[in-house]
Amino acid sequence: MNESSAVVRARGLVKEHGQGQSRIRAVDEVDLEVPQGQMLAVMGPSGCGKSTLLHLLGGLERPSGGEVWLAGRRVDALSERALARLRRRSLGFIFQAFHLVEELSATENVELPALLAGRSRREARRRASLLLERVGLAGRARHLPSELSGGQRQRVAIARALANEPLIVLADEPTGNLDTAATLDVLRIFEDLRTAGQTFVIVTHDERVAATADRLVSMRDGMFVDDIRLAGTGTGRLGGLIGLEG
Amino acid sequence: MGRTVLIFRLVLADVRRHKAQAAMLLLAVAVATATLALGLSLRGVSDALYEQTRAATAGPDVVALSGDTGPAVTSALASLANEPEVIAHHGPYRIVYADLTTRDSTASPVVVQGFAETPGAVNRPLLTSGQWVRSGGTVLERGFATALGVSVGDRVTIAGRSYPVVGIAVTAATSIYPWAAQIGPGGGPSDYSGLAWMTRSDARALASSQDLSVTLALDVKLRDPAVAEAFLDAHRASTLRVNFHTWQFTAEQDMVILRDSQPILVVGSWLLSFLAITGAAALAAGRAVEQTRRAGLLKAVGATPGLIATVLLTEYLALALVGDALGLVIARLAVPAIASPTASRIGDAVGPTGATVAAATVLAVAVAVLSTLPPTLRAMRTATVTALATTAHQPRHRPWLTALSALLPTPLLLGLRLTARRPGRAVLQACSTATTVIAIVALLTLYAQPERGYGLNGSSALPNLRGEHDRQLMLAVAILLIALAVVNTITLTWTTAMEARVNMAIARTLGATPGQITAGLSTAQLLPSLPGALIGVPLGIGLCSLFAAGNSTNPPSSWLLGAALATLLATAALTALPARLAARRPVAQTLSAETA
Amino acid sequence: MQDAVLAMLAKEPTHGYGLRARLRQSLGPLGESMNPGQIYVTLARLEKAGLVVCERADGLPERPERKVYALTPAGQQRVAAWLAEVGWPKPDLAEFHLKLVAAAAARLADPVELVAAQRRELLRRLREAQHAALAEPEGSAAVLLLEGVVLRLRADLRWLEACERAWSKIDDKSEDA
Repeated sequence: MNESSAVVRARGLVKEHGQGQSRIRAVDEVDLEVPQGQMLAVMGPSGCGKSTLLHLLGGLERPSGGEVWLAGRRVDALSERALARLRRRSLGFIFQAFHLVEELSATENVELPALLAGRSRREARRRASLLLERVGLAGRARHLPSELSGGQRQRVAIARALANEPLIVLADEPTGNLDTAATLDVLRIFEDLRTAGQTFVIVTHDERVAATADRLVSMRDGMFVDDIRLAGTGTGRLGGLIGLEG
Repeated sequence: MGRTVLIFRLVLADVRRHKAQAAMLLLAVAVATATLALGLSLRGVSDALYEQTRAATAGPDVVALSGDTGPAVTSALASLANEPEVIAHHGPYRIVYADLTTRDSTASPVVVQGFAETPGAVNRPLLTSGQWVRSGGTVLERGFATALGVSVGDRVTIAGRSYPVVGIAVTAATSIYPWAAQIGPGGGPSDYSGLAWMTRSDARALASSQDLSVTLALDVKLRDPAVAEAFLDAHRASTLRVNFHTWQFTAEQDMVILRDSQPILVVGSWLLSFLAITGAAALAAGRAVEQTRRAGLLKAVGATPGLIATVLLTEYLALALVGDALGLVIARLAVPAIASPTASRIGDAVGPTGATVAAATVLAVAVAVLSTLPPTLRAMRTATVTALATTAHQPRHRPWLTALSALLPTPLLLGLRLTARRPGRAVLQACSTATTVIAIVALLTLYAQPERGYGLNGSSALPNLRGEHDRQLMLAVAILLIALAVVNTITLTWTTAMEARVNMAIARTLGATPGQITAGLSTAQLLPSLPGALIGVPLGIGLCSLFAAGNSTNPPSSWLLGAALATLLATAALTALPARLAARRPVAQTLSAETA
Repeated sequence: MQDAVLAMLAKEPTHGYGLRARLRQSLGPLGESMNPGQIYVTLARLEKAGLVVCERADGLPERPERKVYALTPAGQQRVAAWLAEVGWPKPDLAEFHLKLVAAAAARLADPVELVAAQRRELLRRLREAQHAALAEPEGSAAVLLLEGVVLRLRADLRWLEACERAWSKIDDKSEDA
């Protein structure tokens, strides 16, 4: 794979916790490359280190060993300040618990990254309205998170993650707290974004989410154990799903 | 019985869990009550000291002073001594007006009283060191000697002649230093003077050698000391050009040097209580959820509203009462130093009176109640089910805050939007700053007053003890207020930072640098301080003008501006420190802890 | 499929092609790969069993799609009985389980590999069903069917994960032994 087209790259990534006898490796010598426009799903049982991997990729935690490149720049050794600036331009985060600011309305939440990046107030507000429309929440722009359902809150979080047109969106169990209908809404949005060329890394234990991805990586005990390409596989076999042989 | 044990256990557990808060409240109340008790005790202690001096020196009930000398005056004074109410008298004796210079050239006006070598029945000055007057020597009054820094064996120059100091004594016949001259030469106004004694012949020789002014005095002891005023009224008109000073008047004069001390201490104690309340209220608001849940629990198991209120308030009341006791002890220990700035009186200080104890206790209780009343009332009014289900502080949308913050640069915008969960806290911070500025303005006003020294011709070689005393007291009060305000500010900032830590972590995932977060947190605390400082200046000036004499001068505006600015800068520095600590916590941990 | 066709005739007698259309509509995209001739074979079988009868033929008799079919009384009874049945279609777990056991016993293949392969296949199917569901218009009845397919696949995938864990442990144990 052409190195310059990889949005995010990791080599020998290691994250350890604890001391001496009780030292455990949450992430154990992981190599990863995500090219532009790919949607990568990371699946695994709880405690396998997939959330930690996401935090390492996004610079929210420092690795104990190994290297991480983001858009061609080495990030694991950057200062907090430089990391924050990089995060502003290149990353969008989506969390299982949504993590919206409770005291701000939906629009105010979505415009926060744009304001942090130095855009003017009007520009940030305009962009936030556009994004909220895109996720189908134009009518709820002035509501507080406490007045929104779980699915709506996650859609606001998605809009917020897209505020600065990030190179890559990192999602940690985005449908973990959602019911079926809300999950479908989120998956629909993800699908639209994927066709538009957005790069994703999604950590999930929901097979439906994993199945929408282009590529699925299984993780156990901090290591990758499987790497499946799902994109571009069989069409016209839908009848087989209900036992209708062709 | 069981109920009391339950309450006791709950209170103890609470105090152990919130040790720092409990200590802060206790110390703040102790300081406030100590200051109040000191202020209210001053008069009582001053009177007690005068009483003890009067008893030890056989002080006169009435002193008659005349600006003239001559046979007519002497016979008039002698006839006074023969009045039926008078049971004993001393004099008439000579008072000579001169200058005294010490060995290191400190000069002061002095009044020299000519006394016999053996003390009389009335007005027997008590020697605290050395011996009584002998020919060629002088005895100095103790307050005067302390101010001059002179002790037995030193030599002083009075009206050009050198005398050895053979003794130091105290008396109750005159006011404390430097009001030893009760009337001026020829009956006119008097200057700040010290008191010295010589033998009769020495005094006469002193007066005639340099043709110095002389007045005459007579000390009188009445059958019934309480009717000294009546004696005065009866004889005022009948005698010519004689001033009378009753012992009550002299005792009253002792308070002149403490005239400003009382308001400084009493108003200072109110300001300290105010700060204690703002600090404790902020912390109590932070515990509101816990208290509401406890009230709900108690209601659910059938406790009466009275019991609930008792449980909620007892912790603060108990701490306040302990602080009250501590404050009273401190006041008792500190009062001798404050109530007697000159060394002119002897005796032991008496304990605080019942009225003082009551006032201090009321103050302590008020601090406790006012700090916890709003959350307690809310806790008791919440329905049981709601109370049990309460989790966190419910956020409210404040669009005006968003609009305001959008006008500011990014770090400040962050600060306001993410940390402004409790606007009430902003008000408390503003009050804290305002109080500090008031204290500083009062201090500056005191320093700005022009004053006459007690030395010769008003020279400040001998410092103005009253001014010094006031300034020292005001400085102490101001330091206490500033210390309390510092603690308040740091605590408020830290509490705000802790409550906002999830929002801060979210902001950092969105790309805010730790520097921006620190600036934001710090600003959120600093912004309310601005109006606080601005209000504090006129309030401080107003407060000072309430208690000041008519001719007091205001400090220059540059000082006032400097004070406000310094306070704001100090606040910024104080808020930056906890803000910086909070902004650097690891993001991932904070976020996962939230969802866990 | 036979019982479903019977039930569709319960409302009114219908042409062959009408039946086919209705089936395709109910199945949505999943019915697109349905063999067009399948339904006529089914209808012929049902006629032979005496459950349906061909009422008339519009147009040319050789063209089966123009035949109009209707239920016989026996057919109606059958429909009633089918509606009252509560049996649930059986998933084929036993066969796969036996496959793994046999492969391990005879050392023909690594069971863990088999599970992984099956899992990949199911994931691909899940992806297709997912896409189909997302592409369906709002309120389409076929969405419900797709949801059922998706849920089944998810359940099967969970079982496959459990299989993988269990068979890996057996592998480890046999290596240590």
